Amino acid sequence: MDFNLSEEQTLLKDSVEKFISANYDLNDRRKLAQTSLGYSEDFWKQYADLGWLGLPFSESEGGFGGDLIDTMIMMEQLGKGLILEPYYASVILAGAALRNGGTAEQKDKLIGGIVSGEIKATVAYAEEQARFNLNDVATTAEKSGDGYVISGTKSVVANAETADFIIVAARTSGDRADAKGITLFLVDTKSEGVSLANYPTVDALRASEVTFANVQVSASDVMGELDNGLGLLEEIRDEAILALCAEAVGGMDLLYQDTVEYCKQREQFGHALSDFQTLKHRFSEMFIEAEQCRSLLYRATLEKNNGSSEARKLIHALKYKVGKAGRFIGQGAVQSHGGMGVTEELRIGHYFIRLAVIDSMFGNFDYHLDQYTELMTIPEDKGEEDSMPFM
Amino acid sequence: MDISLNKEDLAFEKEVEDFLAEHLPRGHEMWTKRAEWFAALKEKGWDVINWSKEFGGPDWSPTQHYIWDKVSCREVLPPVMPFGQVMLAPVLMKYANKEQQERFLPDIRDNKVMWCQGYSEPGAGSDLASLKCKAELTDDGKHYIINGTKIWTTMGHVANWIFCLTRTSSDGPKQEGITFLLFDMKSPGVEVKPIYTLGGSHHVNQVFFTDVKVPVENRIGDEGKGWTYAKGLLQHERKGIAGISRSVYALEKLKEKAQRVPVGDSRLIDDAGFKKKIAVAEIELLALEFTELRSLADMVNSGSPGSQSSILKLKGTEMQQTIHELTLEAGGIYATPWGNKKFGPKFSKGGMEMYLNGRPATIYGGCSEVQKDVIAKRVLGL
Repeated sequence: MDFNLSEEQTLLKDSVEKFISANYDLNDRRKLAQTSLGYSEDFWKQYADLGWLGLPFSESEGGFGGDLIDTMIMMEQLGKGLILEPYYASVILAGAALRNGGTAEQKDKLIGGIVSGEIKATVAYAEEQARFNLNDVATTAEKSGDGYVISGTKSVVANAETADFIIVAARTSGDRADAKGITLFLVDTKSEGVSLANYPTVDALRASEVTFANVQVSASDVMGELDNGLGLLEEIRDEAILALCAEAVGGMDLLYQDTVEYCKQREQFGHALSDFQTLKHRFSEMFIEAEQCRSLLYRATLEKNNGSSEARKLIHALKYKVGKAGRFIGQGAVQSHGGMGVTEELRIGHYFIRLAVIDSMFGNFDYHLDQYTELMTIPEDKGEEDSMPFM
Repeated sequence: MDISLNKEDLAFEKEVEDFLAEHLPRGHEMWTKRAEWFAALKEKGWDVINWSKEFGGPDWSPTQHYIWDKVSCREVLPPVMPFGQVMLAPVLMKYANKEQQERFLPDIRDNKVMWCQGYSEPGAGSDLASLKCKAELTDDGKHYIINGTKIWTTMGHVANWIFCLTRTSSDGPKQEGITFLLFDMKSPGVEVKPIYTLGGSHHVNQVFFTDVKVPVENRIGDEGKGWTYAKGLLQHERKGIAGISRSVYALEKLKEKAQRVPVGDSRLIDDAGFKKKIAVAEIELLALEFTELRSLADMVNSGSPGSQSSILKLKGTEMQQTIHELTLEAGGIYATPWGNKKFGPKFSKGGMEMYLNGRPATIYGGCSEVQKDVIAKRVLGL
């Protein structure tokens, strides 16, 4: 039993850390966010050269054969840097879609390009009326000749503006909220009928409302099984949540650490703020919550990596806990910094924002608590002795 | 990163399961066949699992201890008071002289002498080092004369002996001048008064000492160094308090009971609000189990528990109390009938008892507020 990183994992962690500290100073990040692209193509190229873009893909697919633990390590470090490049959209989301549902032809067409950085992709799953429900898909894909015609609008699609391909969930049969009848399609963003309304998100990343107006695709653009796309969407969600939560846990560590450091320096009433017990206790609680999130992150990631049937339940538990603890830690950090906590000058404010954004993605903590509760095992009542165990 | 148990550990897990299946007295036999159970444990060499090999312990690895906890918490074991075997014995093994070890350890091992702990005083709770109970050496240097009082003495009314922190000097820092003494509760001048806790239970007492004469041979280690020995003991106390595996098991049992509680034509387990509260507790425990594993892995790999171990007592006791509360809530109206007559489901009264008796978990062994101070100091460097 051991929670240590392997030599390769330590190298990976160190190389990301090194990159972040050299390139992702808060001021540099702010300037980069304000460029029209919103991120650095040069950094993207470096990610490709460092092998990061190929991390989750198998060697036979042209990647570097990393597993979910490697991705967790990667995302935790990238999260600390609050990077602006579309790693999450292209490598995590589209990567998960391709690896779990891509045909040989689709993999061939995209993975090499994603790994080299020449192709970017994203996944469009959300719709306004659906809130967090992946089943609820109003966008339709109607059979037309050998192919399909897609119509509908997708919400808050990560980095669609710079994506060469959008993997979109559309309804091929059944009623709007049916579990069955959803199919994923690989759509070239330049296809006729695809239009984007682009905007920044509050965390300085980019997203779009994507409208599909009678977009023609061929049968070979179907990703995964026809009408059974929900399973693939859920796989994508599971992997995305693990990645987002790894990122969140990285941010949580910095939130409590920065807060402790700041309060050691800042004096009021003739004392360093960190001398006040009420603040010491808050810091201890922030540390505890961050560690509890890390424990669940490890547990869910390891179980998913081992293909355990418990993994999905643990992923719901993780997303719930990270959402809840993220509020507590983020708010505690801002409160402890006083007025400085609400300015854009310190990085804690940016982690605070990012944690709020992560909670909104793929279901907030209330949603995941509901999901967990539904999947929770209720042991059969064997009618044993009526008393509770001694504790 | 790998959480799987190795082949030897898996074999050990099986060995524990088989041993319990063969020897553990169940149901009513837990009380009538206690002696056989302890004999079987001793024969197996598993009666004093926290003792070092030199004194008859099994020399388990941290992982084996973890496995034992995990497997045995799923059963009801005949209880052993922790004061002798778990708390005092490690101090004796580390700090007592050979003669004292030979005198006291065998009876502790065989549960022949029941011990109680003389630590807290009315004026020294969380701030234990400010204790005042006085021990003065007689002119001939052969005895200490004890005057003072100890409080919250669990099982003091039935204990045979007490291990007691006394003040032999008030010069210098309060942590110095504390002396660790052992004496017979039947000594002249020892008086035990019961303290009834919420719900009318009698577990704890206040103990008064008036000119109690204790031979110097009963002093552990050096005079004035008792604080060092006591601190070590508190670590052993805290280790057992978190009880995470036990909480996991108790929550499973609560889910079973909640199927028997009617809510109109439905069952409590189907009540969305209640079920969600169970889910929240379960998620916290899923995390805490892994926090414990991470601490264990650090123990195995580096010899010392990582910073996350500081969380275990604090969160572990909070989770116990959460389960107490949920059990109380599950009992509903039948949580209130008191006394010896049974009304309503048995666990309903038990839930109230748990709720009332469970409050000290976050108070003793270093209260939660002290634990947070400790984390701030040791982990966050404040």
